[in-house]
Amino acid sequence: MENTINIGIDLGTTNSAIAKFVAGEVKVFKNPMDWKETLPSVVGFKKDTILVGSKAKEFLERDPKSVIGNFKRKMGTSESFKIKSINESKTPIDLSALVLKELKTFVPPGESIDAAVITIPASFDTIQSNATKEAGIQSGFKQVILLQEPIAASLAYANMKKEKELKDGQWLVYDLGGGTFDVALIKIKAGEMKVLDHEGDNFLGGSDFDRLIVEKILIPKISGKYSFENLENDLKSASGKLNKKYYSLLYKSEQVKITLSAKSSDEIEIDGFTDDKNDNVEIVITVSRSEFNELIKEHIDNTIEMVKRILTRNSFKPTDIQFTLMVGGSTYIPFVRQRVEEVLQIPINCEIDPTTAVAIGAAYFAATKVRQENLKGEQKGETQISIKAAYQKTSKEKEELFSAKVSGNINELSYRITREDRGFDSGLKKLTERINEDLPLVENAYNFFKLTVYDSQNNIIPTDLEMIGINSGFGISGQPLPEDICMEVDDEDHDGETKLFLAFQKNQILPLKRTITRVLNKTVIKGSNEEVLRVNVLEGPHTSLPEANKSIGYFEVSGRNISRDVHKGSDIEVTISISESRDLTVSAYLNMADQEFKETFNPKVRHTPVDLVQFEADKLNEKVDSEIEEAAQREDYETAEALRKLKKDVESLNEETSKLTQDDVTDAPYQLEDKKRKLAQAIDWATKDKRIALAKSEYLDEKQRCIKLLDDNGNDYERKLFNDIVANEDVFLTSTSPIKISEKTDELNSIRFTVLWRTPDFLVAIFKDLSQKGTKMNDHAQAKSLIEAGRFAIESQNWDRLSEVDHSLINLLPKSAQKDVTTKIGF
Amino acid sequence: MQDQLTVPKIFLDLLNQVFEIEKKTSSLQESNSIQRNVNKLKELFENEFGLQLLKKSSGFTFHSPLGEEYDFTRTDCEASIAGSNTENLIITEVIKPIIRYREGGRVIIVQKAIVVAESKQIDK
Repeated sequence: MENTINIGIDLGTTNSAIAKFVAGEVKVFKNPMDWKETLPSVVGFKKDTILVGSKAKEFLERDPKSVIGNFKRKMGTSESFKIKSINESKTPIDLSALVLKELKTFVPPGESIDAAVITIPASFDTIQSNATKEAGIQSGFKQVILLQEPIAASLAYANMKKEKELKDGQWLVYDLGGGTFDVALIKIKAGEMKVLDHEGDNFLGGSDFDRLIVEKILIPKISGKYSFENLENDLKSASGKLNKKYYSLLYKSEQVKITLSAKSSDEIEIDGFTDDKNDNVEIVITVSRSEFNELIKEHIDNTIEMVKRILTRNSFKPTDIQFTLMVGGSTYIPFVRQRVEEVLQIPINCEIDPTTAVAIGAAYFAATKVRQENLKGEQKGETQISIKAAYQKTSKEKEELFSAKVSGNINELSYRITREDRGFDSGLKKLTERINEDLPLVENAYNFFKLTVYDSQNNIIPTDLEMIGINSGFGISGQPLPEDICMEVDDEDHDGETKLFLAFQKNQILPLKRTITRVLNKTVIKGSNEEVLRVNVLEGPHTSLPEANKSIGYFEVSGRNISRDVHKGSDIEVTISISESRDLTVSAYLNMADQEFKETFNPKVRHTPVDLVQFEADKLNEKVDSEIEEAAQREDYETAEALRKLKKDVESLNEETSKLTQDDVTDAPYQLEDKKRKLAQAIDWATKDKRIALAKSEYLDEKQRCIKLLDDNGNDYERKLFNDIVANEDVFLTSTSPIKISEKTDELNSIRFTVLWRTPDFLVAIFKDLSQKGTKMNDHAQAKSLIEAGRFAIESQNWDRLSEVDHSLINLLPKSAQKDVTTKIGF
Repeated sequence: MQDQLTVPKIFLDLLNQVFEIEKKTSSLQESNSIQRNVNKLKELFENEFGLQLLKKSSGFTFHSPLGEEYDFTRTDCEASIAGSNTENLIITEVIKPIIRYREGGRVIIVQKAIVVAESKQIDK
C-alpha cells in the first residue's frame, strides 16, 4: 500500500477531474463512458436512478427541479435543493459527494482510493472549506486534504518546469473556464506559495461566448436575409417553433469558437428550416476572428479590470509580477491571451494544459502528503454478492429484458449496467433482490454488457456474474458461412492465370454483403463478342487455386450487353450478397457505361454453363502440362510422377467436356464440373509444396532487398511497417498457404518501392531507361521536353522533379510497351 | 475494458462529411445516383478501409439515430433537449452521427452522435 495520498481532485463549479501521481508522473483519469478527462459537475435524479455528469447536464435547463448544477456556489450555506422527482432535499454537500463518488469510478478497479487532495477556490472561507471536506468524507474518503485552486495550478506549472525552487516573487493565476472566472495573486517566498488576494465572477465563461455568437452574429444575419417576425424568440423560447434549431446553432457556434483559435475565419452552414413565408432557409455565414473578438471584448475587459483591482489593492506594479498563468478552457482563445497580456503589460504563461491543470497540481501536492497511519494496510471488508442472471442470449428485438436474482448482503449497495461499446449506461441504481432492466441492443452485433456493484462510497464489490452477452440481429438459426466465399480475379503477377479474392471469410454471419471495386484490364467494345468479362463467385478455401473451388455464381458480360465501350482502366464494382436463406446475388456495375448486371443464384440449382466447364477443363489441361514440365526441370520426380497420373484423368475430362453441347440438359455438366474441381484440388495438393517453397524464397529475397534499402534510405515509419511484417514471420511462413506468404511479399515490395521512388540512384536509372525509349513514346515532342527537364533535374539534383518526370514519361509509353496479356476474367 | 481506442480525427471528419452528403441527398429529387456514390463511400469505410490499410477485418460505420427514442441511458448520443417537456423524448435533429469502429467481433463507439431531442407530447 502506498504511503502518500497521490490522488488529486478538482471539484469545480462547472467541471471536475481526478488525477493520480504515479512514479513521478501525473495521470489524469478518463471517464470510462466517454473518455473525457472532465466530468460536468451536474447531478440529476430520476425515479430510481442518480445521474452524474454529461447525461445529467443535458437535462439541466429543461428539468431544473430534478437536475442540479452550480451547487458549488452554495457550498457552506444552509440552502438545500428540493428534488421533485424523489421528493427529497439535497444539500450542496450531498451533491458534491455524488460528484466525488462518480469521479471514483474513473479509477480502474483494484486501485485503492481512500484519501484525496480536493481543491477549493481561493475565495472559500472556513465554513465553505469544511463543507467541501465533509463532501469528501461523505463520498467515502477517510482522509481529505484541501488545496486552493490557484496554488494547484501553480504547482502543475512548477512541476512541469521541473524546477524544485521557484524564483521568489509574485504571479497571477487567470482562470477562465466554461462558466466561471477567477483570478488570484500568488506570492512565492523560499519555495512556499501563498494566495495574497483574489477576485471572481461566478457567471462568466466559454458558454456565454457561444450564446453571443448565436445572438449577435447568426440571428441578425438570418433575419436580414429571410422573413422572421421574431427569430430570437422562435429559437430561444422553449415553446418557440425553432427551439430545436437553437441547440444546433449553439453547437455549431461552439465549434466555430474552437476553430477560430487556430484559423482567422470559419463558416457555419445553416439549413433545414423555413422562415415565416415558408421559404427554405439556406445560408452560409462566415464568422471572422475579429468579429468574434469584438463580441467578447467587453467581457474580457471586465476580467482585466478585476485583475487591475487586485494589483492596486496590493500596491503592485505590472513589473512586480513575473507572469500571468493562464488556466481554464477559455484561455485557449487567442484574443483572451493577447488582450490580457496587452492591457496588463505582464507576460502571459500558457505552458500548462488549462483544463486539467488544477487536478494535476492537486495530484502533485497529494504525492507529498503522507497517508494517515490508520489507513495503511487496512483491509477492505469484501462483501460477496452472488447474482443469478436470466436473459435471451440471442435476440432480434431492439432491447432485451435482463433479469437477475441477487443474494448476499445488499444493504446500501447500488449497481449500474454499461454496454461495452460505451453506448448505454443505466446510471447508478439501488441494488435490490431482483433486478429487471431493458438492455438496448446494437443491431447485427454481439452486445456485451457489464453489471458492476458498488458500495455506498462507490467502491466496487466483487460478484460472481460474468459478462452479459447478447447476440442481436440473428437468432439461433442465423448461420455462419461454412466456407470462404471468393471472387475469381486475374493474377497480375502471373500472366494468364487467375487467383481468388476473398469476399467473405468462413464463419462470418449471414446475411452478408460486400462491394468490391476492381480495375478492368481489357477493353470491351460495344457489340463485339471478342472480349468477355467473367464474374465468377466461388465457395471454398481462399488459399487454394480457383479451379479447386466450387463456382456458385457465374455470369458473363460481353460487348453485346453493354450500351457503350468500356475501357481498360475503368472500374467495375462487383457486389456480392448472401441472404440468410443462402440466396446469392451478384451484381456487376460498370462505371463507364453506368450499367448494372445482376443475377440471383439459388445454390440449390447449380448454375454451370457448359462453355465455362469446357473453358476450365482446357485451362486445367494446360496447367497440368506446365506443372509436369516444371517439376521435371527441378528434378522433383516424385511430384512429376503424381502429376502424370493426374494428367490421364484431366485428358479424359477434356474429352468428355468437348462432347457436351451448349444446351445439354442432363446432369453431365454438373458431374464434369465436380470432377474438374476434384482434379484441380489434387493438382493443387501435389504442387503445394513447390508453391510454398517458391513463395518463401520470393519472400526472403524481397526481405533482403528491403533490409538493405531501408538501412540506407528508409524513414522510421517505413521501418516500423517492415518490422511489423517481419515480427509475424513465424506465423505466415509456417502456414500451408502460399497465398498468405505472397501477400506479405507484396507488402514488403510496396514498402520498398515507396522508398525507391525517392532514391536518386533509382530515379536516375529509371530516367535513363525511359529516355532511351523517347522515340517510341506516344507524344514525341512532349517526351523530348520531359527528357530535357529530367536532365536538368539531375544536374540540379532536384529529385522530386525527377520523380515527376519519370512518372510522366511512363504515362507516355505506348500501350504495347506496357504489359499486355490475355486475361481470363477481365479485372 | 480499460484500453481506449484512438482513431485519427481525419476518419471521423470524412465520415461526418459522408453523413452530411447523405442527409442532403435524402431531401433531393433525383434518381438516387448520388446515393450510389454515398453507399460506395460507406462500403469503403465499412469493409475496405481495414483490409487495405490495416490488413485486417475492421472498419467504420455511421448511424443516424433520427426518429429514435431518447433517454438518459443513451450514452451513444450527446443531446440538447428542446421544448419544455422532458418525457417521451424523440431525436428530431442529428448534427453528427454515431460512428462505430469494428475490429473482428469487437465494436466500439468512436464518436457519439450530437443530437437534439424533443418530447413526443406537443408543447402548447
